Amino acid sequence: MKNIVKAVMLGALAATAMGGVANAAGKTIAVSWKTFQEERWKGDEATIKAVVEAAGDKYISSDAQGSAQKQAADIEGLIAQKPDVIMVVAFDADAILPSIKKISDAGIKSIAYDVQFEDPNALYITFDNVGVGRIMAKEVLKVKPEGNYAFIKGDKGDPNATFLFQGQLEVLKAQMDAGKIKNVCETFTDGWKPDNAQKNMEQCLTSTKNKVDAVLSENDGMASGVVAALKAQGMAGTVPVSGQDGDLAAINRVALGTQTVSVWKDTAQLGKAAANAAIALADGTAIDKIPGVAKFNGGKKKVEMNAILLAPTPITKDNIGDAIKAGHITKEQACAGVKDNAACK
Amino acid sequence: MSNTPNTSQSPAVEKEGPITRLLRATEIDARILGMAAALLVIWAGFDIYSRLFSTIGFDSDGLIFGGSFITPRNLWNLLNQTASIAIMSTGMLLLIVMRQLDLSIGSMLSTVAVAIGTLQVFRLAPALGEGNRAIWIIAVFGALALGSFMGWFNGVLVAYARIPAFIVTLGGLIAYGGLAWAIIRGETVAPMDSTFELLGGNVPQYSLGVFWSWVVAVVAISGIVYSIWNSRRQRQRFNFPLRPMWAEWFLGAAGSVMVGLLTWVVTIYPWAPNVIKQWATDHHITVPAGIEDKDGNAICMAGEQMVRCVHGYIVYTGYSIPFMIAVGVGLAMSFVATRTSFGRHIYATGGNPEAAELSGINTKKLTVKVFILMGFLVGIGSIITSARLNAATNSLGQSNELYVIAAVVIGGTSLSGGIGTVSGAMLGALLMQSLQSGMTLLNFESAFRDMVVGAVLVAAVFVDQLYRRSVK
Repeated sequence: MKNIVKAVMLGALAATAMGGVANAAGKTIAVSWKTFQEERWKGDEATIKAVVEAAGDKYISSDAQGSAQKQAADIEGLIAQKPDVIMVVAFDADAILPSIKKISDAGIKSIAYDVQFEDPNALYITFDNVGVGRIMAKEVLKVKPEGNYAFIKGDKGDPNATFLFQGQLEVLKAQMDAGKIKNVCETFTDGWKPDNAQKNMEQCLTSTKNKVDAVLSENDGMASGVVAALKAQGMAGTVPVSGQDGDLAAINRVALGTQTVSVWKDTAQLGKAAANAAIALADGTAIDKIPGVAKFNGGKKKVEMNAILLAPTPITKDNIGDAIKAGHITKEQACAGVKDNAACK
Repeated sequence: MSNTPNTSQSPAVEKEGPITRLLRATEIDARILGMAAALLVIWAGFDIYSRLFSTIGFDSDGLIFGGSFITPRNLWNLLNQTASIAIMSTGMLLLIVMRQLDLSIGSMLSTVAVAIGTLQVFRLAPALGEGNRAIWIIAVFGALALGSFMGWFNGVLVAYARIPAFIVTLGGLIAYGGLAWAIIRGETVAPMDSTFELLGGNVPQYSLGVFWSWVVAVVAISGIVYSIWNSRRQRQRFNFPLRPMWAEWFLGAAGSVMVGLLTWVVTIYPWAPNVIKQWATDHHITVPAGIEDKDGNAICMAGEQMVRCVHGYIVYTGYSIPFMIAVGVGLAMSFVATRTSFGRHIYATGGNPEAAELSGINTKKLTVKVFILMGFLVGIGSIITSARLNAATNSLGQSNELYVIAAVVIGGTSLSGGIGTVSGAMLGALLMQSLQSGMTLLNFESAFRDMVVGAVLVAAVFVDQLYRRSVK
């Protein structure tokens, strides 16, 4: 057992040493990933690696395997390899802060990738989450400018559920104050689960006797439950429904007309933006001079940070072709059972 | 043998109150009666509350108090929403009676659902052509087989590898959750095969309708009458004490009235107007211009709006397919639990495992069988859940194990084994779903909903304990 530990440690030392040597050539961009258990991060890594290597820089990384302790150790290991920038997908936004301080103490720049940690020296890159809610509301509002709205919110334990709802209300406020839009049902959905969303929607339709004109569902999974509940009342396709994530099944529903919008956060876009920002930082660009950077203080502790907030893409029946072209979904998947969408012809 | 109440002829008879006397004479389990009473109180409470505090102020079609809970539509929904949990609770009941437990059923349900979902959509539909009648049959058998297999696997680990069921199935909860994710990589498969979808009861056109619902009712009432008559005859044959004649009549009448009421309720739930409209268009039925009823509801065509009728008739829904499946499972499982040696062995093993083993019961084999049965029922649950949603994803069924265990426990099943009934477990499931549906219907905050459901679980067990102590 001891021998194994020794061997691993020697290996790690050797790797570190080699990393140090290779450093001399270009700049080095390091990424500390929180996990590769969720499939999307592998995609993000591929994008970032490609952009970094295309610029002639070196990419190094570590995988925290879903552990805050391992991530702290990972970051120490990365610092030892003397990269120019360390990008961090934090597993725990608070527990990561001492590690971030170590990064800046070593004179290395840090980027918070997709998960915010509130350190004023770091650059935060993510999609605009409140904006997702706004886009949902805008697209639904286009179809139903007035009437009874139902809000199927995500899990009550997830702050995003409330962010999204805030964004929706911002857009709808004027119409609600004018009495044109009425909030007839508003409910959290345990675990963001589609079957719970279906039950919630059924109860909403029962209590309002089907007098629901629009549904703001906070993601695509729940939208599938909402559409199933509407279908049982013969209302699918006439009542606008929102969602997010760009789920393949949801894009198909958008093409079919049973869902109005799926707000899609193209993670390739996020990876590209982050990699480019990292390269610019490594080349010595000041953090507030990077294109797209603005001040952001919407975090838990209201710390002001430099941030790049990307605008997500609403997928509606008019631009399904774009998602197909971007390679996110095949035409067969998007267009199964669809008769009257231009992109499907 | 603690769960078979004894004779009706004891000296204490004269001193009993009317309810105790009724219970003793009819041999109805007081806990079942208590639960049914609790259910009615909850329903009435929600209905009255919704009548008094309705913020929406829409017109009501409430049957008793004019609220929105005791309406044909809500009760129909409630039965549909309960089906999957109720079905799985009958299997969990047998496991718990046997002093076992299955924590993995939620994850199993996800795994089976995504497996048959991908099978239908990505394998069978391209191979056989979309809408092929073979697809749903293969999917159903696939679900039952996969569920049973996973149950068998759990059972073998528990019985032969001697790992405690809690550990095996806790591992299963985590591992099968991962498996479900791996099959589908976090995505959603939709839509399901169009025939398969009907099994979820979400398509009102394919519910039983008025005629067949009443046929079911007549069959059910005949069944009740026959079983009462048959049991009396059997008791006479073996010289067992008989229930008094009035008690027999009471049981028959009560059962028939309940079946009749339920059937009446589901047969006055009309299709949604849009569904009728679609149906009429699809079947080239010309809809006559209509009239309004006294409340101003259009009963046929009212201008552009067409509501609740085709050919001047309202089309009613009747019993849904998931409900019928649940009733079928309930009857079968009741029979298995009380009338077969397999069932009696389960209760005997739960009551005293050592004694059961010494008396020649192969408890290992029995354990595996009960786990297989659990898996089979999970298979049914996953069919209904994914068909109802018309989509499958790995989050489907998550934490169902907790609801199922809660239903079984609320239904008066003892966690120390040997005691519990199928009807109790299913009623427990209905009670819990009533609480959840009712509070959602009234727009209660979900945090509050969770607190109430949790409190009811604990309170139900507490009351059960009190009852058991008082019986001793």
